[in-house]
Amino acid sequence: MFNREEPSRLLPNFRFMRVLILSAAVGILLVACQRDDISTGKDTYALNRPDYFPEIAYPVATNPITRAGFELGKKLFNDPRLSLDNSIACSNCHVKAVAFTDPQHNPSVGIFEQSGSRNAPMIANMAFQSEFLWNGGVSHLDFVPVFAIENEKEMGETLADVIRKLNRTDDYPPLFKKAFPKIDTITSPYMLKALSQYMLLLVSDNSKYDQSVRGELQLTAEEAAGLDIFNRKCANCHSGALFTNHDFLNNGLDSVFEDEGRALISETDDDLGKFKVPSLRNVTLTAPYMHDGRFKTLQQVLDHYRSGVKDAPTLAPELKKDGQLGIALTDDEVEKLILFLETLTDYDFVSNPVF
Amino acid sequence: MKKVLFALIAFSIAFSISSCKKDDPAETGPGAIDIEFDNIAVVNGIQRQLSLVTPGSTDYTYQNGMGQDFNINLLRYYISGIKLEGPNGELFEDHVHVDVSGTEGIYLVDESDLSTGVINLENVPAGQYNKITFTVGVDEDGVQEGAAGGVLDPATCHMFWNWNSGYIAVKFEGQSPVSNGGTSGGETVDGTSPNGIVYHVGGWRDMPGTAFVKNNKTLTFDFDTNARVQKGLQPRVHMVFDVLSLFKGQNMIDFTGNHNVHKPTDGQPVAENIPAAFAFDHVHQ
Repeated sequence: MFNREEPSRLLPNFRFMRVLILSAAVGILLVACQRDDISTGKDTYALNRPDYFPEIAYPVATNPITRAGFELGKKLFNDPRLSLDNSIACSNCHVKAVAFTDPQHNPSVGIFEQSGSRNAPMIANMAFQSEFLWNGGVSHLDFVPVFAIENEKEMGETLADVIRKLNRTDDYPPLFKKAFPKIDTITSPYMLKALSQYMLLLVSDNSKYDQSVRGELQLTAEEAAGLDIFNRKCANCHSGALFTNHDFLNNGLDSVFEDEGRALISETDDDLGKFKVPSLRNVTLTAPYMHDGRFKTLQQVLDHYRSGVKDAPTLAPELKKDGQLGIALTDDEVEKLILFLETLTDYDFVSNPVF
Repeated sequence: MKKVLFALIAFSIAFSISSCKKDDPAETGPGAIDIEFDNIAVVNGIQRQLSLVTPGSTDYTYQNGMGQDFNINLLRYYISGIKLEGPNGELFEDHVHVDVSGTEGIYLVDESDLSTGVINLENVPAGQYNKITFTVGVDEDGVQEGAAGGVLDPATCHMFWNWNSGYIAVKFEGQSPVSNGGTSGGETVDGTSPNGIVYHVGGWRDMPGTAFVKNNKTLTFDFDTNARVQKGLQPRVHMVFDVLSLFKGQNMIDFTGNHNVHKPTDGQPVAENIPAAFAFDHVHQ
């Protein structure tokens, strides 16, 4: 608003200067309110990519993140009105305290006490991924909530009804207007953009492991030994800063597949029993494990990789090296691996009041 | 003197004609053109207006290539990426813009609302046009923009697959007495409809060896006459879409077989019939 004024006319005008300085001070205060930590300059409502993370996959330019948009997305995420009988919110099965997974149920429970068929995956670092769900059927973050809302075992509602309900409330229309000033009526793409803004900012990057990567602390000798074992025996698939190669693989849970996984949508036998390789960030919090939540502890998971791997034509080759099923791990190695995996827990993430 | 006068008159006429040609924005300025998609049924070589029935109706007007009766409750499809070309290098490409606030350059033709069949293109450079290209369906760029408004709003247009995210290109629902029902995911028929037939044809990506099949079709048609575009004129290109051809031609579609189509591979036989179902009909100048 100031740069519309001619500086030559403005500068000698001291009254105007006072107004200017005062306004600038108010402006700084307002900006400061939006920042959680002035000393680091880190804006709570900006998507920050740690330099050792993959590139941002989401086209952020098409959905600029604002505080109002994020907070609207957070409210929607926690609102059971998004389900058919107003009983199940996204947050029912994606609980913040456990990195937005479901610790209670195996598998998660949707409307009318129906059990789903798969384990609710973690919602964290979504901005850096481009394929979603255990089978990768959804290729854009905006469309992930449509799946959950319309799935008859999850929220069982139609998108059209959700929008109708939201437009009839007293609270949502002004919040949408605040987040998206151009609109007069709530429509589904704006709801989905708000949910994406919320999920995009759920970046988990402050585990002990992250701090060690950034040189802020050192892992203990045992944790470092665990990392070394991990790099040699697990990091082919659980690779990179997100601890996933983003592939779909059969990790040897079954020989006969009750849930065909990726093959359900790709319809090729080459994908039978393959599921998305999950990120291992916050893995100590995200039990139960596997697409169907069959393992309750990390010990069980590692025991599976040691001695429980079942052969199948689609088995990941990493799990059948030199004709030997599974990954050779001693008890000592398992212990150290678990100590390392514990360094992937981001307590700031799960306790952040902004989320 | 007479000669001079004559020359002067001749010169001024010539000048006024030439100035008309050069400066009159009515001839050089961009104009508009309408592309009409008319959904029809070709029966015994004769084009008939399509008629929709109330869901559940046992009044069967049409037959597929196998002689099986059927009728139609719902017909809806996307047209995108329209391009017009002319004999003198004329080129118009309709701007496609997919955005949360609305969508441009992608059109949803819905038989239940005939006004949706007329696509009005503006700011078309003046010239002669004799060729049209368009895509039936929404390609990758449109999908990867994420949630979009207008004709792509999944809540209002019901043309979106949530489990294998992408837009349905052609959505057809109706009844056939030879169908044993049991369909799912329809708007006008459900599992209790005894004779429902549901063909939701979509798929925007090809992954060789998998069921990710691109069923969108990009089609090109020549006109038999030129459509002349200039300011003040609004020609109309009349395209026809023979719905009966969806079920015959390259692939015979058997309503006793899979009549509950919701996946790219299942829709592929119908999709392969799409190119022959569209035809250029005529130009209204």
